[in-house]
Order: sequence, then structure tokens, then C-alpha cells
Amino acid sequence: MKARLVVAFAAAALAAGCAKETTRYGDARSVETITNQFGSTDLQMMAETMARSMLQAPAIASANLPIVTVQEVRNKTSEYIDTRAITDSIRSELQKGGRVRFAVDQAGMNPQVEELKRQQSELYAKDQRAEMGQMVGAQYRLEGNIISIVKQVRDTKDVYYKLNLQLWNIRNGLLEWSDEKEIRKTTTKG
Amino acid sequence: MTRKILIPAVLGMALAAGCATKKGFEKPGYAFGCPIGEAKVSSMEDLVRTKVQAEGRRTTIQATEMRCSQSGDLMRIDANLNNDSKAVKRISYKFRWIDREGMRAWDEEPWKPVMLYENSNLVINTISPTNKAADFRLILRSEE
Repeated sequence: MKARLVVAFAAAALAAGCAKETTRYGDARSVETITNQFGSTDLQMMAETMARSMLQAPAIASANLPIVTVQEVRNKTSEYIDTRAITDSIRSELQKGGRVRFAVDQAGMNPQVEELKRQQSELYAKDQRAEMGQMVGAQYRLEGNIISIVKQVRDTKDVYYKLNLQLWNIRNGLLEWSDEKEIRKTTTKG
Repeated sequence: MTRKILIPAVLGMALAAGCATKKGFEKPGYAFGCPIGEAKVSSMEDLVRTKVQAEGRRTTIQATEMRCSQSGDLMRIDANLNNDSKAVKRISYKFRWIDREGMRAWDEEPWKPVMLYENSNLVINTISPTNKAADFRLILRSEE
């Protein structure tokens, strides 16, 4: 009996030790449904929808390369979401489309000023250094919120996300564009 | 007598000519507002066949209608998807943007998941991300 047990344990240990681990590259743009937490598909869908919607805003569509600065997207959900990743993706899509220019935002201000100051030193050629006082202010600021509503009953968990973005005219304080993207995900066990 | 026969005949011919093409008064190379290039498109079915592709797992969801319009120098697209089955269907879709030379005008879009209720329609819409996009394809894939 004892001998059988030992053999069984040895076999189980061997099987666990030899479990083959494989690593493969996947499609970064495929639909990801591993959990119902905020994921790559949500980020990509939100960024694309918002960027395309913003392209149709009169303030963007009828202006000649308007200058926008990106402000905070407040995370009002119950989980950690890097909202900067959402605005970075929106910014990349709009910048790539060549219809919007972006001014340095609050997060990028310190490195920008530091570099400007650094170039004022005697180490740099006078005719090639960036002049002080030449930075361009933005005409519009982009900000927003992301919220979530989570409901869970026994084996079912439902998560609802809503991203709301607004484009404000800095000069006159008018709201030039606003849009929302909603996502619902439901996980059922069993 | 001849006149009485002639008038309805002429009217009938005019009507038939008017209905011969659903494209109406569209500029050459376009059907239902969508760019078609050299393709022969005389009906909505032809247009859908030209523009819609299936990739990966096949789905029973069909694109039944598609219309395009210009919004400034960008292209707006509406596509109607139909689920004629008695079950909820889940698919994902993406648009592929093509420039005037037939090259990709934009990076591959992310797959966007959508759910269609049983016996229902869903209109998906988008706008081209760049004015370099002169043509497009709608790609569908099952997520079941």
C-alpha cells in the first residue's frame, strides 16, 4: 500500500515538474476577455472612439491645426486605471492624423522648462539654442472622467464603464466638444 | 391610338431607366457614397460583397447595408449588421483603411467586440482617421 502511494506521489510530482510552459506572441489588438477588469480592448476602443469623434468636432474639423493640451482624466472607478494611457492613445491617433497639434501639458512642463533652461548655458551655440519665451499656448484643453458601476450576484459580475471627455476652449471657457463611450462586460462562473 | 400607346411606353422606359441603377446621380467610382474604384457595383449586395470581408472564425452575421458620405475631407461610414438567427451573437469588427495607391493608409485597428440580439440589426459607424484613406474594408470575425 505504502509503495503504491510513494509511486503515485512520485508520478504526480513528475507530472507537475514536467508541465510544459509555452510562450507565444499574440495579437495586441485582439479582443481580450481574460477577466472583466479594465483591459487592453477597453483602452483601445475608448481611445479610438474618442479620437474619431473628436475629429468631427467643428472646433477641430474647421480649424487649421488647433492646439490642444491634455489634462487629467479622473479615475472614478473602483479599480486602478492608468488614465494617462487612454489620453496618450487619443493624442497619438490625433497627432498621426495630422489634424491637431498638442502643446506641452502639465505633466510634461517640468522636463520642458528644465531643457529650455539647460540650453541657455554657455555650453550651447547661441544661434542653435531654443529661445526663452517662444512656447505656444494651447487653444483647447482636453479633460474627462471615467466611472464604473460594478454589480455582483453570486456567480455573475457585471461591470459598466463610461468614459466622458470634454474639449474646452481656454480663451472663452466654452465647451466645444464632448462625447462618451460606454462598455459593459459580464462574467458568469460555471 | 398610336399616341395613347406611345406615351405610356415612353413613361415606362423612363421609369425603367431611372430604376436601372440604385446609384442615382453619383460620381464615377462611387456607389451609395462609398468608393468602389473599378469594381462593378449595381446594387447594395454588390457593394457589401466588395467591402465586407471575414477573417478568423466565420460568423453568420451579415452586413446588409452600407452607406458612406464625406465629412470635410474624411469619409463617414454606416454599416448595418443583421443577426437573423434566434440566438444572441457576438462578433468583433474593424475597418481597414486603404490609400489611393492601394497601400494601407492607417495602422491595423483594434478588433471591436459587439453583441447583436436575436433577430436584430445593429448599425456600426466610423469616420476615416486620415484624409489619406481613400477606400476601406469592413472585417468581421466571430467571437463565439
